[in-house]
Amino acid sequence: MKELRQIAAKLLTDGAVKVVIGWEEGPRGARAAFVTRPEDAERLIFDARCVQNLATYLSPRRRHVVGLGKAAVVAKPCDAKAIAGLIRESQVKREDVVILGVRCGGVVREPTMPASLTAETVADRCGICETREPTLYDHLIGEPQPEPPRVTRREEQIAALMQKTPQERFAFWSQQLERCIRCHACREVCPMCFCEQCVADKTRPVWIESSSHPRANFAWQMTRVMHQAGRCVDCGECERACPVGIPLNLLTRYTAQSVEKRFGHKPSDDPSIAAPIGTFRSDDSQEFIR
Amino acid sequence: MSTRILTKADLAGLVADLLSAGTRVVAPARVDNPQVAAYRPIASFDEARLDGPLPPRSPKEFFLPPTEVLLRWQKKKDGIELQEVATEHPKQVILGARPCDVAAVEILDKVMGWDYRDELWFGRREATTIVSLACRGVDKSCFCTAVGSGPDAQKGADILLVPSDGDAYLAQILTPKGQALVEAHAQRFGEASGAEAAKSFREAATRKVASNLPIEATKLSGWLADNYEHELWKRLAMRCHGCGACAAVCPTCHCFDIVDEPEGIDRGVRRRNWDTCQAGKFTVHASGHNPRGTQNERFRQRVLHKFSIYPKRFGELLCTGCGRCARACPAGMDLPEILGQIAKLAGAGVPTGGTK
Ligand code: SF4
Ligand code: SF4
Ligand code: SF4
Ligand code: SF4
Ligand code: SF4
Repeated sequence: MKELRQIAAKLLTDGAVKVVIGWEEGPRGARAAFVTRPEDAERLIFDARCVQNLATYLSPRRRHVVGLGKAAVVAKPCDAKAIAGLIRESQVKREDVVILGVRCGGVVREPTMPASLTAETVADRCGICETREPTLYDHLIGEPQPEPPRVTRREEQIAALMQKTPQERFAFWSQQLERCIRCHACREVCPMCFCEQCVADKTRPVWIESSSHPRANFAWQMTRVMHQAGRCVDCGECERACPVGIPLNLLTRYTAQSVEKRFGHKPSDDPSIAAPIGTFRSDDSQEFIR
Repeated sequence: MSTRILTKADLAGLVADLLSAGTRVVAPARVDNPQVAAYRPIASFDEARLDGPLPPRSPKEFFLPPTEVLLRWQKKKDGIELQEVATEHPKQVILGARPCDVAAVEILDKVMGWDYRDELWFGRREATTIVSLACRGVDKSCFCTAVGSGPDAQKGADILLVPSDGDAYLAQILTPKGQALVEAHAQRFGEASGAEAAKSFREAATRKVASNLPIEATKLSGWLADNYEHELWKRLAMRCHGCGACAAVCPTCHCFDIVDEPEGIDRGVRRRNWDTCQAGKFTVHASGHNPRGTQNERFRQRVLHKFSIYPKRFGELLCTGCGRCARACPAGMDLPEILGQIAKLAGAGVPTGGTK
């Protein structure tokens, strides 16, 4: 923590960046902090409650953050994957961001929880995460971290769903998506949902109806998840933000599993490796696309 | 009006009576995740969780659904045929709702009946009897006492239940609608007793909540109206995503969008859907100009609408202090903290202080 604060203060003092985006203590646990004065670097914290993916604040559609000037951002390995995604997809230039990579031993499910990691408290994604430190960084901070408690409850849920018949699965998702109120919070919080004009907001013509009914809710969630295929960094923010509690990460994670199986692709924090959805290769295994 | 006693067994009986008479009963109830409750229609009293966790969403959807049909249209040879929807609604009782949730319904009557009487809203209002339940205070995010209300407030309720001795509730009958419900089920209600226990329940809850945010939010409107360009707003919402989860869970947020959706080549449906001022597209003009271009301006709008604009027009705050917005926010935006900061600037009462 001391190291993090020192580096942040120095970057601000030297004028290397105008803002350091990190975590602070809020009334309901750890939350994003936007530090613009060296003396405020003291506010920065990092522990297992630093759940949120801060890469989302680098997206150019966040004009209020972009307006602050060049940013440094504190990044767990999964956050670094999202930053790499933004660089890869030409949303952020590598030289325009200073990455303060932090070694990570996993986070809890909600920032309001105590910072102790157990099989019960650990976030689903961390239960299977294999990266203890990012490779995309300007500074790497913190001691080496132990592996988070291994939990596979989400993988098991997905496997159980895939055991069902398509009709049963459809019934399951119909029931879940019936609750969707089409607030699009799942999109707004996502670091990889950076489109200036989302297809779901198109009105001339309407591609995806904005009302909450089965046809539209399925169309919305299928579109969102397909657009994240191989791009989703599994930060879990969409599910955490959903005000009606739809288990969205079952969808994003299953899609990631499928992309890995079919294309051998896993999102990484290497900006040079593009997701299959964004690549064209003349040796593609599918004939129709060559 | 009068006070009666209602034991838990009689409440269960009352629910059974209502259900068998075909009345829909909405109550905080179990959902698949045992840590969570939600307001939903129940099939028996066993499903209700009156003393369970706070449902993350308010029951406003039982008056203003997330989506509802306004009319249907069909092209005919000689023009367009419009088909209106029914504005009469089946009877419902909202049972065990928190005082902050039911106060919101009465607050919203003002805007819903302002320049135009919203028939769908008032249709549901008229069909509904609200039996609220005094709350013991949920957590640090509750601040109903700071908005001139409280965990035992009566506003919006037809009957207020207050936990009393043992397994009984003291039932305060507040409106003719409440009276009618009691009369129709007279055998379920007993002579009032246990007033002392109910009183100490109310006092303990009020003390607990009042310490969360000891300010008078009703006194902030002047400062807010005069400080539109204050420095505070320029940095207030850096962490805000504009995701609108706060508005979705809020009992008083009521903005909606109206859309036409085709149902075939010659017919379609007009619907209204929840919307929010936190969404970037909410204020985009046809020219492409957006008067609220960034999240800081959008969040200022949220605060101003609730604590200055609505009070100016309708004489009361558009916030019941339920704290749901703070609990739902994935980014840690915290309305009570922000109100504390504003109170400090405005000098209205003593704030508990924020983290900045
Ligand atoms: S997914 Fe991996 S990198 Fe991300 S918080 Fe969990 S353990 Fe850390
Ligand atoms: S889809 Fe969800 S889990 Fe994946 S990157 Fe976006 S917010 Fe994170
Ligand atoms: S956040 Fe949840 S409720 Fe909102 S649009 Fe996404 S899935 Fe639907
Ligand atoms: S305050 Fe929180 S819940 Fe509301 S729009 Fe902003 S990020 Fe979303
Ligand atoms: S603004 Fe927040 S505290 Fe006020 S009524 Fe809405 S959800 Fe509750």
